[in-house]
Amino acid sequence: MKADYIIKRIAFAIVTVFIAVTLNFVLFRAVPGDAVSALRCRQCTVQFKEIERRELGLDRPLYQQYLLYIGNLLHGDMGRSLRTQQSVLTELWPDIWNTVPMIALGTLFSIVFGIIVGVLSAWRRDTFTDKAGLYTALGFYSMPTQWLGLLMVLFVASAVGLPTSGIKDPTLGVLTTPSFATVAADRLKHMVLPALTLGLVLYGEYALIVRSAMLETLGEDYILTARAKGLKTLTIVRTHGFRNALLPIVTLVALSLGFIIGGAITIEYVFSYPGIGLATVEAIDQRDWPTLQAIFLLLTLSVIFFNLIADLLYVKLDPRVVEE
Amino acid sequence: MEHRSDRSVRWAKALGVLTAVALLGAACKSGGQASPPSGANSTPGSSSSAPVKEGGIFRVGTIDYIDSLNPYNYIESQATNAMIMVYPQLVQYKYSKADGFQIEGDWAKSWDVSPDGKVYTFHLIAGATWSDGKPITADDAAWTIATTLKFQNGPTAEMAPALGHVKSAVASDPNTLVITYDAPVGNALAQLEQLFILPEHAWAPLAAGNGKGLKTFHPEQHLPMVAGGAYNIKTYVKKGTTVFIPLPNFYGPKSHAQAVTLTYYTNADSMLADLEHGQLDFVDQVPFDAVKAVEKDTSLIIDKIAGSETTNVTWNSNPRKLQNRELLDPRVKKALSMCIDRQRIIDVVFSGYADTVESIVGHISPMENKNLGPLQYDCAAGNAMLDQLGYTKGSDDIRMVPATTGQYAQPAHPMKYEILTPTSTDFNVDREFEIVRDGFAAAGVQVTQKVGGDSTATYALETDDNCDPSTSTGYSKFDIAMWDWAGYVDPDFMLSVVTKAQWCSWSDTGWDNPQYDQLYKQQGATPDATARQDLVNRMQQMVYDQFCYTQLVNEELLDAHTKLWTNIDSNLSAYSKVFYTGPHQTG
Repeated sequence: MKADYIIKRIAFAIVTVFIAVTLNFVLFRAVPGDAVSALRCRQCTVQFKEIERRELGLDRPLYQQYLLYIGNLLHGDMGRSLRTQQSVLTELWPDIWNTVPMIALGTLFSIVFGIIVGVLSAWRRDTFTDKAGLYTALGFYSMPTQWLGLLMVLFVASAVGLPTSGIKDPTLGVLTTPSFATVAADRLKHMVLPALTLGLVLYGEYALIVRSAMLETLGEDYILTARAKGLKTLTIVRTHGFRNALLPIVTLVALSLGFIIGGAITIEYVFSYPGIGLATVEAIDQRDWPTLQAIFLLLTLSVIFFNLIADLLYVKLDPRVVEE
Repeated sequence: MEHRSDRSVRWAKALGVLTAVALLGAACKSGGQASPPSGANSTPGSSSSAPVKEGGIFRVGTIDYIDSLNPYNYIESQATNAMIMVYPQLVQYKYSKADGFQIEGDWAKSWDVSPDGKVYTFHLIAGATWSDGKPITADDAAWTIATTLKFQNGPTAEMAPALGHVKSAVASDPNTLVITYDAPVGNALAQLEQLFILPEHAWAPLAAGNGKGLKTFHPEQHLPMVAGGAYNIKTYVKKGTTVFIPLPNFYGPKSHAQAVTLTYYTNADSMLADLEHGQLDFVDQVPFDAVKAVEKDTSLIIDKIAGSETTNVTWNSNPRKLQNRELLDPRVKKALSMCIDRQRIIDVVFSGYADTVESIVGHISPMENKNLGPLQYDCAAGNAMLDQLGYTKGSDDIRMVPATTGQYAQPAHPMKYEILTPTSTDFNVDREFEIVRDGFAAAGVQVTQKVGGDSTATYALETDDNCDPSTSTGYSKFDIAMWDWAGYVDPDFMLSVVTKAQWCSWSDTGWDNPQYDQLYKQQGATPDATARQDLVNRMQQMVYDQFCYTQLVNEELLDAHTKLWTNIDSNLSAYSKVFYTGPHQTG
């Protein structure tokens, strides 16, 4: 039964990937013009554009373009940036590797603090602790991310001595060769403010969801039974309350992680953080369709992958889903 | 967003300095001597008499990034600046308040021009070496020119205009380069300033076959690259920091700084915060709305330079456009323009750091026609003109255009239009649009903003996909745009952008006026300054009267630096190696 469930979920994910890949192909051909239309440069004559179209296969019938697209994807080829003429994946890898640790750090912060505050708020319902947690969470959740980021730049950065932009001190390694530890510490310093901004916004969301899920669980009869049995508060909350509240939390975490690849566009923009979010803005701005198409596809695959992970975790967290 | 609009800065500066070049050319006709390269002892705009303190890292912040170090494949003006630093050039510009921009030697220490004006002989500084130790010789220059000409209709098209009318280039010895033109070219030196000399031994393999490798090669991704200018690139991060390290064997004045770092910011507030907190030494563009705040910081100095950039409302002036043809009528455009409150734009968008302008060439050109206009802000008179022309207001306060007949017949329709705006401006174009929109609304015309993307994408929307000057195809879909131009000392370039020859290239209006084009050719071949001024005045008047553009404001260029550094001259940004080699720490 369990194996059936897992196979079904994986098969479902594969079908979803196929549909996403196809939609990604269709969407970019449904809009007016094509990838070459917006090219503008001194040598971008009609003849030049025709050559580009030929090279990209845009002059072929749609089904042939689709087969070419699928074939290239199977070979790990997501195309060539119209802007730089480089492989899109080669262009995007550094951005992805810049973004993932920053988003992961922010998400980790939000998960840890969101869960702690959510659980405490639920357990201490209607007390000062609950209200403080609830209003703080609501405050951060409702703040525009870029505005919070600007506050960090203007008021927090200089106060705590953290950099406001980029991913590396401009002077690091210019005249001397820094140690690995120095480079790592510098990288971490540059990650703190954008990660904290993301973390605070996500923290609000997590705290509210966890609080809500915990309140529902803590109202169940088995919690009353546990109390009647004289179990310790921590045991009741951890074993009987939190564990049963985990399903919506796992779903939320999986969804958040799915968007890691997508980056945090506004945060990266405010902090000039050279990640996938900035790459997306740049690709849109420059009408670099192959790059945009690759980013959309990576984002979709990431969401599907983490949803699959969540589905598989459900088996462990709630075996009833297998029977259903 | 860029220091100057990328669409114009490179060629504007190359083509536009004919005045200075003509003067210099006259001096060189009989075998002139180039002025010595400026640099360590030069006194640019922001110079001081502070003693030179060598060393340190000069940290520059910018909101424009280096997209490439391949002179055959780049767009951004920051890339121009970087290539000036890493590649030898025959000549470059110098600037002084008294004389403005003038050509000076870079790698060329002097040059001679033949009596017929067709042969330029450049005498090059001996002993220069590339960063890999190989000598820089005239053969490198001859190879670069020959290769650029060979593939000028393909991979090397981007640098080919620098070699207009060049027939051949020969290295008569390692330190002498002879360039032969097929006709006397008045702006030869200004054109050659845009020529980056490439190392033959590193680039020749890329020129094999159809030469496509010349365009697809990205030296910044294969560091260490072979450089021969004042600097080499130590690290390159497109959307991060690029590090310039001085080349020890550079033939010109050496860099005072031990290194220059150029850091790209997407957010100008972060950039200013870093400048204020001592993380940067210089920023090349202070946002207009932040100037007053920066001025309060006593540790910083703001340089306000007479700007070359003008902003405008661009009217599609293609006489063959099919829709909304009422916007071809200069009277309609004038009436609407009279409802634009330009002073409000100056106050709100530019915080007062701009003034009104009437001519396409802008205030930077000494040949600006001062007798144009000025366009009055008088919306009541504008409304009266539109009433008189028969564009009556409907019940919704929007004016109606009566149906027309004939070749370009169009049905009756309300005066509702889209205004195209790019995202790559260095000012708040959205706010400027709102002021224009309010003005047009007061005239009974409704406009909505259409964001076109960066310069490249917006240009494509103006010209259409199928733009083809030979069949006069293109410029059929947009009605109005709002953008800017960076003009230059000599008006040649700005006057050229409305010629038919620039269709599908620099033209953003689609105007097609043979009489104007004839005048343009005529002014280029008129050596007499007074006669040329007369022609240039007439051309400016024609553009003004036709309302190809409604000129809005002439911006100031604002940069800021800490008091720890001096001898910084933003006039030389993307114009000279001295922009980076000149700055030094105060004692």
